[in-house]
Amino acid sequence: MIVESKYRRYSRMAAAWLITALFVFPLYYWGTTAFKDAKEIFSVPPTVWSFSPTLKNFEEVFGISFGFLRQQEVLPGGGNFYMAPRLWDSIVVAVFSTALAIAISTFAAYALSRMDFRGRHHFVAWVLSTRMMPPVAVAIPMFFIYKDIGLMDSYTGIILIHALMNLPLAVLLLKSFFDDIPREIDESAIVDGASRWKIFRRIILPMAKGGIAATAVLCFIFSWTEFIFVLTLTQTGLKTVPVVSSSFVTSTGTAWGNMAALGVAAMAPAFIFILLVQKQLVRGLTLGSLKQ
Amino acid sequence: MAFVRTRGLQGYITGDSPVPWLAPLVAMLVVFTIYPLFYNIWLSFHEYAPFKRQLVYVGTENWSTLVNDPRFWEALSVTFTYFFVLLAIQVVLGMIIALLLDSDEPGFGLLRGLLTLTLVIPPAITGMMFLLMEDPEFGVLTYILEAMGILSGQDPILATSSTALAGVMLADIWQWTPFMVLIFLAGLRSLPQEPYEAAMLDGASAFQTFRRITLPMMSKVIAVAVLIRGIDLFRAFDYMFVMTSGGPGTSTYTLSLYAWQQTFSFIKWGYGATLSLVSLVLILVIANLFIWIAKVRW
Repeated sequence: MIVESKYRRYSRMAAAWLITALFVFPLYYWGTTAFKDAKEIFSVPPTVWSFSPTLKNFEEVFGISFGFLRQQEVLPGGGNFYMAPRLWDSIVVAVFSTALAIAISTFAAYALSRMDFRGRHHFVAWVLSTRMMPPVAVAIPMFFIYKDIGLMDSYTGIILIHALMNLPLAVLLLKSFFDDIPREIDESAIVDGASRWKIFRRIILPMAKGGIAATAVLCFIFSWTEFIFVLTLTQTGLKTVPVVSSSFVTSTGTAWGNMAALGVAAMAPAFIFILLVQKQLVRGLTLGSLKQ
Repeated sequence: MAFVRTRGLQGYITGDSPVPWLAPLVAMLVVFTIYPLFYNIWLSFHEYAPFKRQLVYVGTENWSTLVNDPRFWEALSVTFTYFFVLLAIQVVLGMIIALLLDSDEPGFGLLRGLLTLTLVIPPAITGMMFLLMEDPEFGVLTYILEAMGILSGQDPILATSSTALAGVMLADIWQWTPFMVLIFLAGLRSLPQEPYEAAMLDGASAFQTFRRITLPMMSKVIAVAVLIRGIDLFRAFDYMFVMTSGGPGTSTYTLSLYAWQQTFSFIKWGYGATLSLVSLVLILVIANLFIWIAKVRW
């Protein structure tokens, strides 16, 4: 074991905390903006540490009342920045697109992990190359295609495109989790006369439960944060949180407090999810290529 | 193996053939990537005629416009600048921070956890965060930079063409350097200890150890991280869209943003499709070349 000197140990700790603090600061600043009054948001020099917290922004965005708004200021649910339905849109799209992506990719990942067919490497390369496509190159033609077939502005349309976006990640990541299961287990089941379908359902799926859950979490997060497809393929019918944020920029100025409140609400579930998959995070971020 | 496999159509039912397993995936990929690709190619030979209110065939006009369009070349240069500068900064910074965090001390797990948080924020909201912090009047970052004497009071960061791209890059660096840190850190944590002990006995300096032992053993990890980050850097769109819309002038126009604006803001459907095709071909060539040279395998 390599032992550090006391001096190096403490300076490493100090530097590590300082750098992390730099990365956390923008989050802190945005988070506190959600609890600030307009007066404090626009103050010069900026208020960083001391301000009197208010829940007004959250009341306006979610149409609930904590008693910070005066009665005539806004009717809960009726204000310009009432965004609770948009949060619902985000949830519906993320949940269903994740389910679809996982359903399609578990089957494909099984074949890619367990069957030696001709052209398997080319197939994997093709799946990977769809991950490289710039979203605009898909969004532009899909705009016209969706217009023609009436999928514009619909949950179905966005769910399909988000599932597609997550497919390369899901297929490659699940393949890497399936590869971890020793082949001997399913080969002995084959000798016992079990069919491939049965092995998939009774052995592979239960054994890869944790990996499938981690993959689902990542798909959910990527759908939750996606911007350009929703921006392009919706008009008024539905909007997810990242896209609707840009509507807070109005001609009379930007409603920073409301936007920050919505942002905080959008980040909170993602923060919880990502902390749940810490162990599989690096494998997920590298599409199953690196194992921790 | 001694077991008998069913072949042909019967294999579809028993599941011995890969076809039924892969069919749903192939269907999705064909409908949502191959078909749009051909549609895009078709679109690039047409243009919307406002008076006829329909698409008309224009031959190769969009392609010749492209070559002679100075804004296209500027967008290309912004895209490559963004790509190379940020890749370099994020790899170097990511490696330094990863080396710093590579420790078993108590509390370092918490620091790693805190760094993962930036990865799950919608990039559009990150753009808004930095828009607020870089506001010329009440932005906290503007205030700090002015207090440090780096910025003079007259030039707003995002509305001055010499600093706008840097202002946008800052958001990307903040959000995605932790991506590099986490991947490098996982690589560092899994390295064997023996070479380091041998190097210490030989009296190697810290830099020599890093250069001769850490870097070579980390090459695969670095290659994968560069590939994945590089793909996303080349497709950059969200930050510019919310922070600057490409301005001032063309200083923050990436290829993706230019293609999108031509299509939807200026109703140049064919030209936008042409631009998006260029971006698609470039990224496919660069990424696959990199995979081939760096021998990245899945």
